[in-house]
Amino acid sequence: MPIKILSVDDSRTIRLIVGRSLRPYDCILCEAANGEEGLVAAAREKPDIILLDVTMPVMDGVTMLTKLKEDPALKSIPVIMLTAESGRDNVIHIARLGVRDYLVKPFKEEQLIDKVGRIVQLKKKEVSAPVAAPVPAV
Amino acid sequence: MQEGVNYQELSRRYGFAPKPESASRLTQLVSRQDSDLDEIAKVINKDPVLRKRLLRVANPDAENEIEYAVETVEDALMRNGMGCVLVLAMGTPLALALTKTFQTMLSLKLEMIDPSEAECLQGDHLLGTIHFSDKVEGEVYLRMNIASARAIAAGILGMSPEELTDTNEIKDAAGELLNIMTGNFKSNLCDAGLDCRLQPPEVKLSNNFHTPSVAGGGVERIALRAGKIHLFVDVTANPWND
Repeated sequence: MPIKILSVDDSRTIRLIVGRSLRPYDCILCEAANGEEGLVAAAREKPDIILLDVTMPVMDGVTMLTKLKEDPALKSIPVIMLTAESGRDNVIHIARLGVRDYLVKPFKEEQLIDKVGRIVQLKKKEVSAPVAAPVPAV
Repeated sequence: MQEGVNYQELSRRYGFAPKPESASRLTQLVSRQDSDLDEIAKVINKDPVLRKRLLRVANPDAENEIEYAVETVEDALMRNGMGCVLVLAMGTPLALALTKTFQTMLSLKLEMIDPSEAECLQGDHLLGTIHFSDKVEGEVYLRMNIASARAIAAGILGMSPEELTDTNEIKDAAGELLNIMTGNFKSNLCDAGLDCRLQPPEVKLSNNFHTPSVAGGGVERIALRAGKIHLFVDVTANPWND
C-alpha cells in the first residue's frame, strides 16, 4: 500500500515542491490550501502523515492542528509543521499540541524526505511505475 | 509533550539553525522601551554591517559616504530614534532568510548591495506586500522586475523561465518568498516580546511604488543581487503600537 501524505499549504509553490520531493517515492499526495480544507481532507483521506503550514487564510495551521488533536478519529495522524515561523512561544505551543516534527522554510528537499522518512516508511517507486499526480483535497 | 519542555531542547530536536545574535540582541533592546541609547549604540558599533546600514538610513539624501552629514552611530540614533533601530533589527533576519532561500532553493548566492548600486525598476514590476500588526505594526515590500520574478519562480519550481508562462505561478512564488522572509523576522520580533500577526501576502504588478513614511517609526530599503536578479526589500515599522 502506498503511503498517503496530506500537504496543507496556501502556497501552490510549496505544494509543488512537496510533490516534486515525493515524486520518486511510492506515495499518494493529497493537497489542501488552508486548515479548513485540510480537516475535511484529513477526515476523508485518513492520511498516514500531514505536512502543515502555519500562516494560511480561512483557518491557520495552529487552529487546524488543535482541531485535529481534539478529534479521536484523527488525533493519531502524525503532523510535521512546514513553516517559516520558528518563534519560541509558537514552537513551544505547537510542540505541546503534539506535533511530531518541525521543518523551517526554506528547506532542502532532502531535509523534507529525511523528516517524513523518520515517521513513515518511504519506498522508492519501481523505475517503470507512472508518476501519480496529486489528488486535489476538496 | 511535557509541560517543562524548553525552546533550546526543541530547537535541537527539530534542527533549527541558530539565529543572528546581534539582530536578536537589538530587537530585545528595542522592545524594552526604556533601553539606553548607549547600550544600543554598543551593539550596532560591534557589527560593521548594522553600522553601515544605520548610517545609510540616517543620511537618506547622501549618494555616498563622503556626503554623510550624520557620521556616528550615536548621532544617528539621536536623530532617528528607536523606530529606525527596529527596522535595522528586522532587516537582518529578512535579508538572511532571502539569502538562505536563494542558496537552498535556487543554489544562487544572493548578496546585499548598496541600494544606489542596484538597477532601478522601470515600468511594470512585481510588488509583494505583507502587513504585520499588533505590538509592532508595519509593512514589508518585496520588489523585482518581471524577468527576475520569472527566473526565481522557475528556479524554485525546477523549470526553465521559458516554460513558465502562468503569471499566477510567478506571483505565488514571489508571495512564498515574502512569506519565508517575514516568517523569519516575525520569529525574531516575537522572541523579543514584540508579538505581531502577519497578513497573507498580496502580490501585484505595479509601476509607481513609493515607500510610505511612518510617523514615529522607521523605514529602510535593502537591495540584493544574484547575477542579473535584483531585489528590493523595503521595511516600514512602528514599534510600541500599543
